[in-house]
Amino acid sequence: MATHLNATPPPDAAPPSRGPATPGRTVNFKVRRCDGPGKPGRWETFAVTVERGSNVISCLQQIAANPVTVEGTRTTPVVWDSGCLEEVCGACTMVINGKVRQSCSCLIDNYAPGEGDTITLEPMQKFPVVRDLWVDRSRMFSALRRLKTWVPIDGTYSQGAGPKETPDDQEIRYKLSECMTCGCCVDACPQFLLEPDPARWETSFVGAHAVSLARLFNEHPTGRTLAPHRLEVLSGHGGINDCGNAQNCVKVCPKHIPLTESIGQIGRAVTVHQIKKIFFARPDPHAAAKGPG
Amino acid sequence: MTPDLSAAAPIQRPSLFERHYFLLRRLHSLTGIVPIGVFLIAHLTTNSAVAWGRFGLRGEFPDMGVRDGGVAYFWREVLWINQQVPHLILIEVVLWLSIAYHSVLGVYFAAQGRCNAHQYRYQDNWRYTLQRVSGYVGILFIFYHVATLRWGWTWLVPGGASWDHQRSASTLAAALRGGENFTAAGLAVSLFYFIGVSLLVFHFVNGLWTAAITWGITVSAGAQRQWGYICAALGTGLMLAAWASVIGFATLSPAQAARVEDTARGQPFKVGM
Repeated sequence: MATHLNATPPPDAAPPSRGPATPGRTVNFKVRRCDGPGKPGRWETFAVTVERGSNVISCLQQIAANPVTVEGTRTTPVVWDSGCLEEVCGACTMVINGKVRQSCSCLIDNYAPGEGDTITLEPMQKFPVVRDLWVDRSRMFSALRRLKTWVPIDGTYSQGAGPKETPDDQEIRYKLSECMTCGCCVDACPQFLLEPDPARWETSFVGAHAVSLARLFNEHPTGRTLAPHRLEVLSGHGGINDCGNAQNCVKVCPKHIPLTESIGQIGRAVTVHQIKKIFFARPDPHAAAKGPG
Repeated sequence: MTPDLSAAAPIQRPSLFERHYFLLRRLHSLTGIVPIGVFLIAHLTTNSAVAWGRFGLRGEFPDMGVRDGGVAYFWREVLWINQQVPHLILIEVVLWLSIAYHSVLGVYFAAQGRCNAHQYRYQDNWRYTLQRVSGYVGILFIFYHVATLRWGWTWLVPGGASWDHQRSASTLAAALRGGENFTAAGLAVSLFYFIGVSLLVFHFVNGLWTAAITWGITVSAGAQRQWGYICAALGTGLMLAAWASVIGFATLSPAQAARVEDTARGQPFKVGM
């Protein structure tokens, strides 16, 4: 089973040209601040003394303990979101030095190896800012509800054991299941734009994560019972056709999920689904979904 | 107690656009390949004959050099298209409608994205950006190209040359150069042709690459890469044909081309070549 080491330096990290990073050095954090939704943004810079193995979260904790800028002004503590601190929950995703990634696994020794180096922290660009580096990623989960990316097992009686699985299918789906809905793929996507109005999410692009999770559950022996519904939604506005094939998603995915292969796979499934609809009588999945029960 | 339904949103039937979104998107993809892309290949093959036509003459005009032979071959091919190809106007109308459809929906779809190649500097992302830029420039170029050389909007042509399929090579050279000799406006037109046709070749082969993903033909990353090599090879060939055409006609003397046309006209004309 392929595993990914979280500590692998990203390709955009500063080259370690100045030798090994020295513990106890001072690193500047240029942080994009915002007091709340709709409030104007501003930049503030903080100097932090970093230790060996420091990451962005540990530095943000130091800033929160002593929120004084390099100019000596006392300010409010920087707000951010985080959960697992081991790159499996996605909550701490932010834009670091212009590229989106998890801040918990972002090691300062890779990004700022020298004394006085600067790291820029900004909130994700495609989600409404709650405060500072904390964003509201609800739209991603709305897309998952729209595509019903789950296995339907609710019922009034036991349905017995599920169908058999082949190890090959399991291998492919295991990789897809590593998606943590962090939002890196959509933040880097030129087709996925900031849309604060939830009423418009029904026709907005669902994003690479949702396409890949639809594939995960379409290929699941029980989950595929909802495949016609998923393919119908993916055929429409905001579905797979809104992908522009810029392929940034697969390059920024921290879990190295083959998102572009999922996009190709869903493209094929949607093509076949629509051709089948021309030639075979099928119940309208939307009508079934809206009916009683 | 009856629930208050007055606040419930009225059930709206999705618009025609939303209901046929899939069909409209896939028609946009399809029209880019057939008929537009197929026509582009045929068009560039014909036009690049100015460079290679001498070697396709099968023994006629043995006294002509590469340059004059290319002009003679091109002149005869254009005459064949305009006089022998059946229902040419039907082909043209289908092509114009396809280009109009592909342009209108293309601009609408492109407006839904925000290029970020300056932030995420990946090769694929640059191609995403260039696909949109080439689309916009391509629409302007095709409009100018068809309006001046097909619909006869000569007021847009420096020097006012009017394209005539009986005098295809000389009138085309004059339209590109702004007259017998290069004028500043003629140079601008030639440059616009060079940039426009180069961007359209890119737009076609890059669109061919993305269409294979859209339709679900290339699914694996390996398949996408290999199809990319094939598209790049096709793009290289078409780009060479495009540059040979533009440079070939921009460097052609209209007077000399007219002499070749007269010579060719005096020879027995074989149908079908």
